[in-house]
Amino acid sequence: MALIEVKNLVKTFDGKAVLQGINLELSEGQSKVLMGASGCGKSTLLRCLNLLLSPSSGQIIFKGEDITRPKVDIRKIREDIGFVFQDFALYRHLTVEENATLGLRKLKKMKMKEAVEKATYELERVGMFEHRNKYPAQLSGGQKQRAAIVRALAMDPAVLFLDEPTSSLDPQMSREVVNVINKLFLDNITMLCVTHDAFLAKYISDTIVFIDEGVVVAEDIAERLFYESADPRIKQFFMSVIDHR
Amino acid sequence: MDAFIKDLIAYWPQILAGLKNTALLMVIMSVTGLSGGIGIFYLTLSKHKIVRTWTEAYISFFIGTPLLVHLFLLYYGLPELGISLSSLTVAVVGFTLNVSAYNARYLTTAYNGLDKTELEAARAQGFTQTETFRLIILPQVLRLSVPSLTNQVIQNLKDTSVAFLIQFPDFFAQMQEIASVNFQFFKVYMTAGLVYLALVSIIVLAARRLEKHVALPGFQT
Repeated sequence: MALIEVKNLVKTFDGKAVLQGINLELSEGQSKVLMGASGCGKSTLLRCLNLLLSPSSGQIIFKGEDITRPKVDIRKIREDIGFVFQDFALYRHLTVEENATLGLRKLKKMKMKEAVEKATYELERVGMFEHRNKYPAQLSGGQKQRAAIVRALAMDPAVLFLDEPTSSLDPQMSREVVNVINKLFLDNITMLCVTHDAFLAKYISDTIVFIDEGVVVAEDIAERLFYESADPRIKQFFMSVIDHR
Repeated sequence: MDAFIKDLIAYWPQILAGLKNTALLMVIMSVTGLSGGIGIFYLTLSKHKIVRTWTEAYISFFIGTPLLVHLFLLYYGLPELGISLSSLTVAVVGFTLNVSAYNARYLTTAYNGLDKTELEAARAQGFTQTETFRLIILPQVLRLSVPSLTNQVIQNLKDTSVAFLIQFPDFFAQMQEIASVNFQFFKVYMTAGLVYLALVSIIVLAARRLEKHVALPGFQT
């Protein structure tokens, strides 16, 4: 059974359908990357999946439960979905360690010692332990994004969503973050990532889902989608993305 | 000994009592005004438009009208409706309503400068609106508002001097009484001014220490 199953998902803004019937499946331990031109609906889809945006119609089955039905416990679902943002979104009045432990203490009701132990494990995993007492303003972009990944992983989510995790970073910092996400991929962390970064997509995905004008056009492994697709939309997109690197 | 100094010594018990009342009123209204300000600021973030509209109307009314009008409304106006309150109660209620509106505005200004993706991150993590307010928004806006809130405390101290107009026996009321007896208006009011200046200096020093204490990297206050 799929961990996440999306059936005919539609999202409209002021009458304009940004998602026009998305169908998608993500199994446990699987990593998929959502790609497509700007405005195709990738980030909207990610936000609909943890209900930061309410879908207009369609179904999202998460762990066998339809989370689009009324009176669903959104809080419990969100605790189970880690979310990493393009602009890091770290709580800037808290240290890296406090960012990671806040959710554990306040949502999972862990004792401080237990929360710190869990955070320490994740900090070491992404090479951020030595920076644990720094505030976001004292970190580089790459370190901020790694801290954001720690915060998400510390909650032990069933799936990790990453929304353009490298697009605010320069190439060197971007490489640093790609390495971390690749490590998570090799650890079989279930991931759904939105990106324009072909390099990142290639190294962290089982398959790439190509979205155009709010529908899934194709899903395949990176090599085949990058170089062998006959669809002109896909060819044009990857030609521009890969050429830019 | 100068007659003026003799008067100050003679009236010392009243002056001291006045100073205590001034300090009491300032501390009470600073605490209640901050609490009220936080509460009103929370309401400005409500999901419900009607709540936001009423909150905005409240802030506009109390910022847009003189403090003395609020005090007179409560002290001289309410008895016409059968409600009589002591001068201390009127001072506390009147100042709290007024100061809360100003503090709410300072907190809102600080909030407007926050990075809103942090709030989206909190929602995505599973925090409720109230938890996000308490754990993410409030600690940041309070830090960012320290200079404005400190200025408000100084303003609160100075504003206590209008409380004598509703018969509240504050420090200024006592000095007024001395002046009305010895007619040395310049000396009396100059002394009162210097006492206020000394008290303001103490608040400024305390505020600087507080600013240092709550300062964090990345927070420009």
